[in-house]
Amino acid sequence: MKKIVLSLSIIILTAFAIQSCDKIEQNDDGTYTVYSGAVGEWINGNGVADKSQRALLEKYTGLRCNNCPKADTVIATATAQYNGLLIPVSIHDSSFSFCRPWTFSTPTGNEWSHYFGTFGQYPQAIVNRSLSGSSFDRFDPTSGITSHVDPLVQQSAKVAIAADAACANNTINVTVNLEFVETVAEPLTLTICIIEDNLVATQLQPDGHTWDSNYVHNHIFRDVVTDMWGADIDCSGTAGEKRMAVFSTNKINPDWKLENCHIVAFVSYKESRDILNVVECEIE
Amino acid sequence: MKKHLKLLFVATIIIFMKGQGSSVKAQGIMGGHVTGNVQLDGQFSSRDSIIGATDVPEKMLSNVRADILYTNGNFSAGLRYEAYLNPMLGFDPSSKFKGQGIANYFVSYKTQNFTVTAGHFYEQFGNGMTLRAYEDRYLGIDNALRGVNVMYRPFRGITFKGVLGQQRYFWETRGLVRGVDGEVNLNDLITSWNESKTRLTLGGSFVSKYEDDETILSDMPGYKLQLPKNVGAASVRMDLAHGGFGLQAEYARKGQDPWLDNGYIYKPGEALWLSASYSQKGLSANIQAKRVDNMGFKSVRSVNERQMLYINYIPSITKQHTYAFLSMYPYGTQTTGEMGVQGDFIYKFKKESLLGGKYGTDIHLNASLITGLDTTLVGGKGTDGYTSSFFGTGETYYGDVSLEIAKKLSSKVKLSATYGYVLFNPVVEGHPGDIHHNHVLVADLTWKINRKNVLRFEAEWMGSDSKYSELVDDKRCGDWIMGLVEYNFTSAWFVSVSDQYAYNDGVGNYYNVSVGYTKGATRLQLGYGKQREGIICIGGVCRNVPASNGLTFSLTTSF
Amino acid sequence: MKKAILTITAMLFFGLSFAQNAKLPENISIKTLDGKTVETSVIQNDGKPIIVSFWATWCKPCNRELNAIKEVYEEWQEETGVKLVAISIDDTRSASKVKPHVDGNEWNYEVYLDQNQDFKRAMNVVNVPHTFLINGKGEIVWQHTSYVDGSEEELFELVKKLANGEEI
Repeated sequence: MKKIVLSLSIIILTAFAIQSCDKIEQNDDGTYTVYSGAVGEWINGNGVADKSQRALLEKYTGLRCNNCPKADTVIATATAQYNGLLIPVSIHDSSFSFCRPWTFSTPTGNEWSHYFGTFGQYPQAIVNRSLSGSSFDRFDPTSGITSHVDPLVQQSAKVAIAADAACANNTINVTVNLEFVETVAEPLTLTICIIEDNLVATQLQPDGHTWDSNYVHNHIFRDVVTDMWGADIDCSGTAGEKRMAVFSTNKINPDWKLENCHIVAFVSYKESRDILNVVECEIE
Repeated sequence: MKKHLKLLFVATIIIFMKGQGSSVKAQGIMGGHVTGNVQLDGQFSSRDSIIGATDVPEKMLSNVRADILYTNGNFSAGLRYEAYLNPMLGFDPSSKFKGQGIANYFVSYKTQNFTVTAGHFYEQFGNGMTLRAYEDRYLGIDNALRGVNVMYRPFRGITFKGVLGQQRYFWETRGLVRGVDGEVNLNDLITSWNESKTRLTLGGSFVSKYEDDETILSDMPGYKLQLPKNVGAASVRMDLAHGGFGLQAEYARKGQDPWLDNGYIYKPGEALWLSASYSQKGLSANIQAKRVDNMGFKSVRSVNERQMLYINYIPSITKQHTYAFLSMYPYGTQTTGEMGVQGDFIYKFKKESLLGGKYGTDIHLNASLITGLDTTLVGGKGTDGYTSSFFGTGETYYGDVSLEIAKKLSSKVKLSATYGYVLFNPVVEGHPGDIHHNHVLVADLTWKINRKNVLRFEAEWMGSDSKYSELVDDKRCGDWIMGLVEYNFTSAWFVSVSDQYAYNDGVGNYYNVSVGYTKGATRLQLGYGKQREGIICIGGVCRNVPASNGLTFSLTTSF
Repeated sequence: MKKAILTITAMLFFGLSFAQNAKLPENISIKTLDGKTVETSVIQNDGKPIIVSFWATWCKPCNRELNAIKEVYEEWQEETGVKLVAISIDDTRSASKVKPHVDGNEWNYEVYLDQNQDFKRAMNVVNVPHTFLINGKGEIVWQHTSYVDGSEEELFELVKKLANGEEI
């Protein structure tokens, strides 16, 4: 009997040994492939099926900004209306979050806020970082945003953009595909941001003195995967060109709940910082 | 470094042999033995545009091999010399094969319960579905592993085997293969079962290969495949016998293994093989079934040579036909996916019975059918490839029925008549075209004139459906007729003359004359004639042989 | 260098091979028809001659030879006590057909399977049929490859000589 048990157990162990072979996880599209270039290297891509022109709405805000909840309502309504064409991002800087350790301000947010001239006067919004004359066309979103968004999304896109993101081994990899619909001669950059939803934190309410400690903050800008002013796009910019690159970061703050995070990526002119197109995607 | 190792190895054997050799003479007791065999094949071929034979620039091609084996009690060692100067037609003509050298060497120590072999070795686990390192010199296959092979029997009835090695690839070794196998014979193991009429053997094996990462681009620009470096295959098997009944089964699975022949897909492989038989004196029946799904297993992912570097072997279940026309369209196992059934039936009408006559009559009936799998495509390279339903069948690949009746007509004359039907789908050889159907008739008569003189006549006819030969625009795919006369005298010599003729074509005559001489374990054969291009298959594994025209010779000897 | 190795090896084996008859290997694993693994040492015949015949189900001459011997096997056994041991080299494709084949053809031989062809290699068998004659001491005294109808009678002459204690 002892012999049988011994032999059987060895055979069973042997059968289980098959577990020791490598298992490649399947991607969502059913493939087992991986980007073949180096991180940040631009190579010929697969093209982008969706050629829509989308708009990035950056809302500069703070926890002590009593009109910001109103702006959130307006933006939520508009986001639903535009059905994916409007991508909102909430950027906190340090001005209205003074002495609040749990605020969502970031050095990048501060820098942008200063650059676009929104620092210290909230809520302020800017769509696709578009220019009005020589300065950025910033406005108060509580007074309506559609007049700023409509002219942008009604254009046809010069550059189509698609992104995929996945997180493994504490590294987020973002694959971005670009396809030039029209020729763009100017140098371009790509910026990738990590955005988190469903953050519960206190927020000053419109009455100016009530603090709602259960306020749900959405679209909070957490960090950039690329440089804050984007990574240079290596391309000729001629119509029909397809380029792709993968960017990755392992600087993941343990406070972030990755399951609530998503990626926003946008292409902008290197000189003017005006955004050509933007896309958002989930992190797998 | 490699050369030095070889030299060291040879030197070791020589020293060992020398020591033993002198002790034989000095003490006059049983020492070691050296045995061996030599095979020399040569070929002269010249151009014949009608049959498509091309000139051989070197005039003569030859394959030579010589095995030398030394045994002394539990110890044995051997080496094999091979030369391809230059390789014969049908063997890889590239510079990879050309040349000569020591292709195989080993040392082995064997006791009843323990064996260890270092160097080149051949091994098979179960039916070979996870591992079969073997050689077939006629197919030019040598999947020998070079490494270490261990067998251990801890108790009566239990056998473990382990292998670790690299596979032979022309004159190099490639890949890394590791495997273990366990087998339990319950009748040997359990004392009370020792004499049981029912005999049961169970076994299992696990084999894994390792291969470094490489860049294989996906169909999507910019992406490459994420390759598994370790790929495993495992199987379980049983062999049950009760009197005349026998039942054998093996089921194997393989992990994700994208490689050239499966189009770099990630679907796990599986294979099931079943065989049931019943036999008694003068009667036997055997039924086999199998299902193979993406179970080709090579130690190197991307290798062009079709039959090289296979780790496993999927047993073919079709009958290995020996008559020329029945084997004109042989079937090679489709390791990527196939299903098949086969039935084999042998019956002997007894002497003095109604159908048996004075000497008895033998009947051998065999039929098989092989189809593809019922698959649904889900993607190309770098995906799972396809899904398949377990019981669904796809396109018909091959089928055959053969009935052979053999009868001794008198004490001197024996006649065997065979009818065969072969259905063949050229798609299995990668050619487009329709299934074609062939009918074959064979008469094989042996006339033993006296003890020293034997004549054998063989006549064959094959009729094919004309649709196929029109489709491929080659009348040689149509009807054929063949005759052969073979004369054996003094039991050492034979002369044979044969001709195969595609009579619709009216041009191609494939005649052959051969003379052979056998003495003891030495055999010399000379042939002159035209050889049809075709496919030689042994055990479901095939090799393409191009047309040739000219002289061939073959010498084999064992000592 | 390779030439040198070959020359030395060739010289050595010529020097040795005339020493005496090789013995039948004893420790090679083969299988019985009911799946039991045994060693080649089971090939025994109480000091009487043994014919060891390598064959395969798909080999026509092998079948002709074994069928021809079948007709006279009983007489041979009565006269000389010889035993025929048939070693099938069938691979997996046909190994499961060996027992049905043997029974179907009514062969009364001792049949073993040499699926991994270890025994075949140890005996330097190149082609089947290949027949060995083993004397009472277990020494290989004669071997022959291929079969033509009638050559079994020649084999029997040799068996008779062995049974009478004559040298071959």
